Amino acid sequence: MIQFQFITAFLLIVLGIYAFLAKNNLLKLILALDIIDSGIHLLLISLGYRIELNEIPTAPIYTGYETLKSPMVGPLPQALVLTSIVIGVCVLALAMALTVNAYRHYGTLDVRALRRLRG
Amino acid sequence: MSAEILPYLIIIPLFGAFSMPMVNLAGRKAREAWAVLISGATLAVGSWVFYWVYEKGTVLYTLGAKSPFGQANFPIRIVWEVDLFGALMVLMVTFVAFMAVIYSLGYMRHDTGLDKYYTLIIILELGMLGIAITGDLFNFYVFLEIMSIASYALVAFRNDTWEAIEAGIKYMFVGSVASSLILLGIALLYGEYGTLTMGYLALKLSQNPTIVGKVALALFISGLLFKSGASPVHMWLADAHPAAPSSISAMLSGLVIKIGGIYALARIAFSIYGASVSVKTVGWLIILFACITLIVGNAMAVIQTDMKRLLAYSSVGQIGYILLGIGIGLAAYGSQTGEIALAGAIYHTFNHALMKGLLFLIAGAVIHQLGTRDLNELSGLAKTMPKTTFAFLIGAAAIIGMPPLNGFASKWLIYESSALFNPVLGAIAIIGTAFCTAAYVRVLYTFFGRPSERVMEAKDPEKSMLWPMLILTIAIIVMGLFPWGISDKVMIPAAKALENQLAYVATLMGGG
Repeated sequence: MIQFQFITAFLLIVLGIYAFLAKNNLLKLILALDIIDSGIHLLLISLGYRIELNEIPTAPIYTGYETLKSPMVGPLPQALVLTSIVIGVCVLALAMALTVNAYRHYGTLDVRALRRLRG
Repeated sequence: MSAEILPYLIIIPLFGAFSMPMVNLAGRKAREAWAVLISGATLAVGSWVFYWVYEKGTVLYTLGAKSPFGQANFPIRIVWEVDLFGALMVLMVTFVAFMAVIYSLGYMRHDTGLDKYYTLIIILELGMLGIAITGDLFNFYVFLEIMSIASYALVAFRNDTWEAIEAGIKYMFVGSVASSLILLGIALLYGEYGTLTMGYLALKLSQNPTIVGKVALALFISGLLFKSGASPVHMWLADAHPAAPSSISAMLSGLVIKIGGIYALARIAFSIYGASVSVKTVGWLIILFACITLIVGNAMAVIQTDMKRLLAYSSVGQIGYILLGIGIGLAAYGSQTGEIALAGAIYHTFNHALMKGLLFLIAGAVIHQLGTRDLNELSGLAKTMPKTTFAFLIGAAAIIGMPPLNGFASKWLIYESSALFNPVLGAIAIIGTAFCTAAYVRVLYTFFGRPSERVMEAKDPEKSMLWPMLILTIAIIVMGLFPWGISDKVMIPAAKALENQLAYVATLMGGG
């Protein structure tokens, strides 16, 4: 069976890196960062989803574990992704704040204008 | 008792940082006293941790129950594991951060928003301490991001100047991409081996080394070389470090690039991958980057006219030496040469934190007095700021590697091991030092030159700025008095602790 989630995740990461290298608008760069992050989150969360014995896994809830017939998804990647999303939001907020400040100083969002520091 | 002190390394700065806005309501004096108190208490805990690890060996602390299922005899929760190398980094971080906080009292007095400044500087310290003590990969990533976000915000702290904003944006984008690479590596390792504990991961990797593990290593190395400012991607460093306030520059150049780059790289390469990849290949890869970094960083430092930019490029060059030591330590894994190289790298990491911290603090004092950091306008500073110039003389001599100071011993170990390993590398290291000498001699020449009109009104800075500089100077001189004693008693054991992957794993599994 083809694991579409991994392919999608790597496509997202590659797309994000392409956008990061090719685009010049600061807002688009922030979007690119977010796309890379989303790709990694998708990869991480789909690592916990393992189809064993052709049974669809259920949510990781421990109460009534003994009566459960099907396997559970791994709870750890979900915790990791939650943490990582919070970190991503923090970086994004800071990036937005800096972008507003950059627009105030430079009057443009083009990164090619941010080249005054040299040497 | 042993490991119970470890969480206080995190608890004290965390509590101090987030109570800062409330303490700030009581006024400027309370805020400053609180910042000094918190960083001082962290220094006390850090010194205690170092002493304990030095006397008793590696410390393991488990967050949560030691064996959650009642049967496993090893901790599968988040663990913190501090060996001598980590403890040395803890001591270095807490000491330099304490100096930077004291220095900020005078240096930042004319800025606004200082409650946020002190909050961020303590969070920065917290992130670095977390990286130094953690034994869990995802925990490492979280602390890395705490450190990085705090440093992005601090670089752009003076947001009324275009310089800070531009440097902050560059630093932030490069740093975030590097962090994403590291996270991708962690995700791959977790998917392949199903664990995040470093020691257990090392065990699983050595049992079953796969191509996914190697891809993850490549992602770690590239991400961490970004973060440490190694040469093909050092441009952000030369912009970000000068643009920050000088007390922050001292922490960024002295600590952040080492903890977030070198320390993490060494930890991952030795403690996780030591037994499961060809260390020779990885070692030579790092040596290659080290040689480029060494030459480019030091050579670029020579042609700078901006004092802080010169110091930032010099940091790039010194990172090259440390990477060279780490690379030779990997390539000659297990031999005497590798051990000497590793000890030299660790020694130089510690020394460079003191030296570059001192030099950036001096640059800050000069900016504070004269409002410029253009070397062409600073001629003759020695007449009007004698104490500052003396401190600069000591710092510059130490960073070049003059014999009676601490830089000599660490650079000597690196030269010696690189010449033993491969004479060409030794020659490259010496060429780097020649450039480094040229850069600093030029600054000294300016300082001792004919006084220009501008510097006549300058005077030595106030006490809160002078004391950290003097303490760092004294530390450099005192460490220079016992170079081989420190090397034999602390640095070689630290290198051995880093090299000994088996002991690292054994401590985790309850054998040590």
